[in-house]
Amino acid sequence: MAYKPNLQRTWWLQHRFFRAYMLREATVLPLVFLLCSLLAGVYSLTSADAFIAWQGFMAKPWVIVIHTLALLASFYHALTFFQLFPRVMPIRLGDKSVPAVVMIAAQWSGTLTVIALFLWLFGGGL
Amino acid sequence: MHKEIQIKRYLPEEHAEPFWQTFRVPYDETTSVLGALNYIKEELDSTVSFRWSCRMAICGSCGYMVNGIPKLGCKDFVRNYPAALRIEPLAHFTVERDLMVAMDEFLQHLEAVKPYLIAEPSEPHKPHRQTPAQLAKYKQFANCINCGLCYAACPQFGLNPEFVGPGAIALAHRYNLDSRDQGKAKRMPVLNTHDGVWSCTFVGFCSDVCPKGVDPAAAVNQGKVESAKSMLIQMFRGGA
Amino acid sequence: MSQRWQGLHLEPLWWGLFSAGGVCFAVFVPAAALVFGVLAPLGVIELNYLKLHVWYGSWWGLMFTGTVICLPAFHAAHRIRHGLHDLKVGGGCWSILICYGIAAIVSVSALWVWFNA
Ligand code: SF4
Ligand code: FES
Repeated sequence: MAYKPNLQRTWWLQHRFFRAYMLREATVLPLVFLLCSLLAGVYSLTSADAFIAWQGFMAKPWVIVIHTLALLASFYHALTFFQLFPRVMPIRLGDKSVPAVVMIAAQWSGTLTVIALFLWLFGGGL
Repeated sequence: MHKEIQIKRYLPEEHAEPFWQTFRVPYDETTSVLGALNYIKEELDSTVSFRWSCRMAICGSCGYMVNGIPKLGCKDFVRNYPAALRIEPLAHFTVERDLMVAMDEFLQHLEAVKPYLIAEPSEPHKPHRQTPAQLAKYKQFANCINCGLCYAACPQFGLNPEFVGPGAIALAHRYNLDSRDQGKAKRMPVLNTHDGVWSCTFVGFCSDVCPKGVDPAAAVNQGKVESAKSMLIQMFRGGA
Repeated sequence: MSQRWQGLHLEPLWWGLFSAGGVCFAVFVPAAALVFGVLAPLGVIELNYLKLHVWYGSWWGLMFTGTVICLPAFHAAHRIRHGLHDLKVGGGCWSILICYGIAAIVSVSALWVWFNA
């Protein structure tokens, strides 16, 4: 005689840690929307009219809201992903392993560099 | 000082269903959760069942859910819970009686990954030499005491009891990383399956609750890299 | 023959794409979301159609497609598939087929656009 409680599908609501996990997994939802918008964007590059129509779509307030969410989601994803990376692929130089903080800082500097590059490139540097 | 402690009881001979029972227990700064349980058993109700042995976070037998989080009773203190204190059996396991769970559900997985040195016998009376750098590679994963807290913390194990799970995979990884060991080819087929490393989604709570700082989540995910390599090699070589 | 394929499955491939996509989502997507999703629509940045058109036709355009669209699509597919399992929804072949299938369609159409640009 024994019993085994069944895990409910709402298990992740029970604890702060699990809610943070589900939030991390949910960052891909606004990402999917952004990907579709960008796909439409590259598609619209075939003609100037299509491009203007795409810009009109991108400027709709609710679209900007979702894309802002996608931006925030990408930062939250980066925060979690950069912390996990040194644990999955620890780098050893000789006998010493590279400290996690160094790897995390290096990854953030990558993200910031790409942002600077994009701002320069599409803000007139093209 | 007294504390109301609720325990999730299960007495299959008397009640078909588990039920909560409250006890009033005296405590001070030094009372561990296990100490409180022992007080209950000795002074209040001798029918309460729970496992323990060493009282010093070594034997790994005193795992319970304390306010919903897997804890070692001997390493956790009543003073940490100013409000309510609810003790339940470890989550995701079959409960046999009160706080006692069927640990073989974890031990079967542990056995499957052969968590011991597999090495050709060296010359008699010759030690297996290992440098400090070689030791450092696996040392962290060798601290596991098989308490099973990480299984109670792992929703993937809760969703799929066939998942080999954090503790067993951490130990498999520990022996795979050991320079003296030659058993990796025997362990990888278990880790390579869907129920091996690939069931993990890096929730990471297992590493948070581990009382020995093993970081099983890191072991499982390093195991994914190893598993991917092992499967690629098998594909190109045409055998394991 | 049987030895070679015994116990093999596609999980390492999905995980590899998921990880590569995760790096891109963390390193390249923030910039793209900021520039194309927020600053340009708000008028802070003025996009130039002709210059963009020429730029996209170059190898940079291919890199943009890969790092900002294709790989993140597979990252998203993998998380959605496992997220469904976490919520005890679906499972098995169907989740795999639908999630990675959509990611593959998105990727192929994005690459197709680039080749024809
Ligand atoms: S890895 Fe940690 S939590 Fe898991 S069984 Fe070992 S000691 Fe316990
Ligand atoms: S009694 Fe041994 S670990 Fe707690």
